[in-house]
Amino acid sequence: MRVLAIVPAYNEEECLANTVRELTSTCPDVDYLVVNDGSSDATPRICDELALNHIDLPVNCGLTSAVKAGMKYALRHGYDAAVQIDSDGQHIPEYIPTMAKTLEDEGADIVIASRNLAGGGAVGARGAGAKLITAIIHQTTGATITDPTSGMRMYNRAMIERLARGFDLAPEPDTIALLIRRGAKVIEVPAKMRERQGGTSYLHFMSSISYMARTCLSILLFQWFR
Amino acid sequence: MSIVLRIALILGALFALSIVVRKVRKSKIRIADSVYWVCAAVLLLILAIFPGIAYFFSDLLGFLSPSNFVFLVVIALILLKLFNLACEVSRLTDKVEQLSQEVALSKKEFGDNLQNKR
Repeated sequence: MRVLAIVPAYNEEECLANTVRELTSTCPDVDYLVVNDGSSDATPRICDELALNHIDLPVNCGLTSAVKAGMKYALRHGYDAAVQIDSDGQHIPEYIPTMAKTLEDEGADIVIASRNLAGGGAVGARGAGAKLITAIIHQTTGATITDPTSGMRMYNRAMIERLARGFDLAPEPDTIALLIRRGAKVIEVPAKMRERQGGTSYLHFMSSISYMARTCLSILLFQWFR
Repeated sequence: MSIVLRIALILGALFALSIVVRKVRKSKIRIADSVYWVCAAVLLLILAIFPGIAYFFSDLLGFLSPSNFVFLVVIALILLKLFNLACEVSRLTDKVEQLSQEVALSKKEFGDNLQNKR
């Protein structure tokens, strides 16, 4: 099975090199693609100097668009599965083979690396937000996703096609809920994650408010009309 | 409906029409996109010239004053246009993102993505 690791990177000069190094040394069978999302720091230079396999979005488009570009690449290069790996080093690549095996053996469409199944998980306000999303996904789809905000998700070929072509399909919990309702089989595997190794998160405080608003609205309301 | 409001409406509508015509002449707006503004201006013009319409609808809907009906029409027009603009911005955002993705992917395909050394 050919697996592509999509590494979206926006201003990640501090940890991108280490993340890719760890990825290639732990999983030599897994191809990767760094998606430089119009970074204004040294990220594009690092990509060139270390000859990383990468593409450069000409302007900053956001995480959703960066992942979508990766999905298009995976689709056009005939990959069987694609996994999103954050460039800040919080995702541990050792879990990729386990996820790929689960995807293949269990016939899953999406495999999520769950911190909660490994006894961890977000705490505080972020943990409460994640629990809320778990609850509303369970209410609307009947499926239990213990770690809906985990960014480390692996998609099979059918899901890659959807994500590459769909409109407004963010790699976020609301898309998972929508795909479950459309019949996708989602399995979680236990995985530990690290604290982010540097850089700034896509989710700051104020944006986490609008993130929650968008996610809840999408799952509770718009899911029924899409 | 006071005569002041009627005059203000007429002047405002004519002013709006002149702006739209000028922008079309200078190629600042496509004719297709100007249709809404011409129609909106003409609608306000009609309301100002024939105040009977405003009286009729304010009686029908139970408004205290026909000018309230005119304001309602203006607010409704604005909200409609605003929402359509939001939709348009969403569509444009999606298009820009798609274009960015395609540019990035094609550059990679043709091996041009190693030229951004500064």
